[in-house]
Amino acid sequence: MRPVAFICLTLLACAPLCAKEELVTLPKRDGVQLTIYNSEDLTLVRETRTLSFKAGENRLQFSWANTLIDPTSVEFQALADKEGNLEVSDTSYPAESHEMLIWTITAKKAASHQVQITYFTSGISWSAEYTGLVAADESAMDLTAYVTVHNRSGEDYEDAEVRLVVGVIHLVEKVINLAQPATSRAMDRKEMEDWARDAPNKSPSGPGRGGGGGMSKPKQIDKAGLSEYYIYSVEGTETILTNWSKRLRSFSVAGVPLKTVYHLNPAKFGPEFTKVLEFKNNEECKLGKEPLPDGLIRLFRQSASGMGYMGALASKYIAKNDEVKISVGPDAEVTLKEKRMSFQKKDLTFNQRWLEGWTGVETFELEVRNFRSKAIEVEIHRSFGGDFDFNSEDKAEVENFNTRKFILSLAPNTSRTLVFSVTTRYGSNVKPK
Amino acid sequence: MKLRLFAAALPTALACAIIGLSSPTPAEARIKLATLPDREAVAVRFDHPNQVLVEEERTIALQAGVNNIDFSWAGTNIDKGSIVFRPAAADSKVEILSTSYPPGENALTWAVSSPDARSEKFRISYLMGNIQRETSYQAMVSKDETTCSFKHYFKIRNWSGESFAEADFITRDGKKFEKALSQGEAKRVLVNKWDNVKIKKEYVYDLTRQYEGKVLTDYVLVNSKDIGLGQIPLEFGKVRIYQDDGKGTAAFTGEDWGRFTPIGDEMRLNIGTAQDIKVEFKKMVNDVTNRRGNVYDTDELDQYEIKNFKDSEVILTLVLRVDGEWEMMKDASGFESFERMDNETVKFRVKCPPKGAPVLLKFHYQRKDVW
Repeated sequence: MRPVAFICLTLLACAPLCAKEELVTLPKRDGVQLTIYNSEDLTLVRETRTLSFKAGENRLQFSWANTLIDPTSVEFQALADKEGNLEVSDTSYPAESHEMLIWTITAKKAASHQVQITYFTSGISWSAEYTGLVAADESAMDLTAYVTVHNRSGEDYEDAEVRLVVGVIHLVEKVINLAQPATSRAMDRKEMEDWARDAPNKSPSGPGRGGGGGMSKPKQIDKAGLSEYYIYSVEGTETILTNWSKRLRSFSVAGVPLKTVYHLNPAKFGPEFTKVLEFKNNEECKLGKEPLPDGLIRLFRQSASGMGYMGALASKYIAKNDEVKISVGPDAEVTLKEKRMSFQKKDLTFNQRWLEGWTGVETFELEVRNFRSKAIEVEIHRSFGGDFDFNSEDKAEVENFNTRKFILSLAPNTSRTLVFSVTTRYGSNVKPK
Repeated sequence: MKLRLFAAALPTALACAIIGLSSPTPAEARIKLATLPDREAVAVRFDHPNQVLVEEERTIALQAGVNNIDFSWAGTNIDKGSIVFRPAAADSKVEILSTSYPPGENALTWAVSSPDARSEKFRISYLMGNIQRETSYQAMVSKDETTCSFKHYFKIRNWSGESFAEADFITRDGKKFEKALSQGEAKRVLVNKWDNVKIKKEYVYDLTRQYEGKVLTDYVLVNSKDIGLGQIPLEFGKVRIYQDDGKGTAAFTGEDWGRFTPIGDEMRLNIGTAQDIKVEFKKMVNDVTNRRGNVYDTDELDQYEIKNFKDSEVILTLVLRVDGEWEMMKDASGFESFERMDNETVKFRVKCPPKGAPVLLKFHYQRKDVW
């Protein structure tokens, strides 16, 4: 059985405040808009209703039993009230209920107004996911992005405009904590699960249909920047029932060019020599219209025999023009072997017959072998500790004070050996500069 | 979403403080008259940051000679020592002779001398506990993020045990509103609204505020008349920030605690992270120099590669920390301005070109006498 979860809006008349209250109107909801944030458990709900007000004081009661609404966030606003006919005199939170408030609204004259009620709720979230179908030669991929909305708020939202916010918002208190008095009841999991199981039979429009039910083509998702955020607006309206999720296609781009680079970079990709597929979120790569929100990128390889899984990356936010590097793990066809070819201790120094300093000289070989019938690029990061000097005939860049970087290309079915030596001073041999 | 219709009952006011007029009999008799003079006015003052002062006026019929006036309170949290009782008129002929406190009761008795039989208006003031207050703000920022409308709300929650049928609630800045407030009830009112308040947006990479390498987005508003504020000190409170999206609606863009901001001071509000500005730190040089025994100096070059992926140039403020004795070298580069805020903290302002073109801030410094 479904828990009692509802939002109730009641307009009360009260000639003198203390007189018996009288129900005046059943306010109908004209529309609802959900603005869902992905960085926090936060959704801004905005609903509009048309109400009739009498001249003088009007009392409007708003209650939200068994939902995850933050009571401190509930706001009333008259829309298109340029003359300032309506004014909220106060907002009262009665002692007898944690899930109700009463607005005292003063109207200069009797009139009908469209009003907007906004509030934060917990329990609705969205996430992004990406699927890349990589061509057999790894030169390009077809990239499809999805957004999935999850509703665990205890409240059904029917025919709602849905807006998804990309960005990291700053909150000083969690909405779920502010909504806590209602939480224990709203999150009675067994009741929720029971209800969710029964819901398809109870919903008049069927789960997840709403305005989009029976659509013949995927909905458009309009993207626009606002301050540090991007807002994805889903075309039309959606019905999102509690405990249901809904996935929509955000965009699809064919032929995104890919670069394959083999990395040894323990700080970024772990200790193994790893194949990394790279692309940029820019126009050159047929992307760059908007940033890519954080989400899981899954790559599959297309081949004549079918599709194979390549790997996945829990990607962070990718700004416009920024690059994306997806590690797909080691590749048996491209190998890296490091060997220490020599080790010598020299310049031993003593203090009263006790060793207090020495210098180690080591030479290394890095052999990279490309067994593939395709040219590849390689980037190797090698770090050292202590007071060291690095020497190599092969070109190496300074990545930072203790890391050197080799970048090279390898033709198909070739190999290359890099040679370098490291002189490290220990104890009293550490070089005074 | 379901709708349900129902009517709510008005809360009933509870009267807990009682005034009785006793005849001048020995105190142990304590015969209380049934006449309870009504409160003619009640003011609840929030001048003090932690205490709430209640002030009430009552007219009491006095007999000639000494009158005993009982004042008792049950179930309320009144600070007995704070009770002040005085005639309202400055030139009153009535005198307060003494105050007696009966044992084990939330009560007291004033001995009041009157030259004749008269009705006298008295003021009773006392500190009352368990009345909570909360200041909050709502900023509606313009689409271009240069101005906002700034609303100031005051919320009171009454857990005092006393119900106020009608009272003047007076905020710290002297704003007065008349409301009824029952025991357990809370009320929120809009006390101030300022339009066209100028705001400044800043991007800050501040290692004294966060360690994850994020760039924070701040709004800064100065509590001054120049920008549309400056009328009252702004109390500590939560600021919720919305922004006009240019489509007739607004989006919530973040919230922060606004600290107490006197007139002339600035309020800095973090709304979130600027994900389109990336800062990558690398220590490029970390050499020991000038070694003397176990004491040495270090030569260090910290490189911050900044990429601004926005479509327009931005200024990024970097606030960095270096501990100990140190000095910046002359070849430090990549910044518009530099300020040493204190011994450990430095501030750089860096101009960042658009569309991801990298800019390098090279912070070269030497630490002295490290051991």
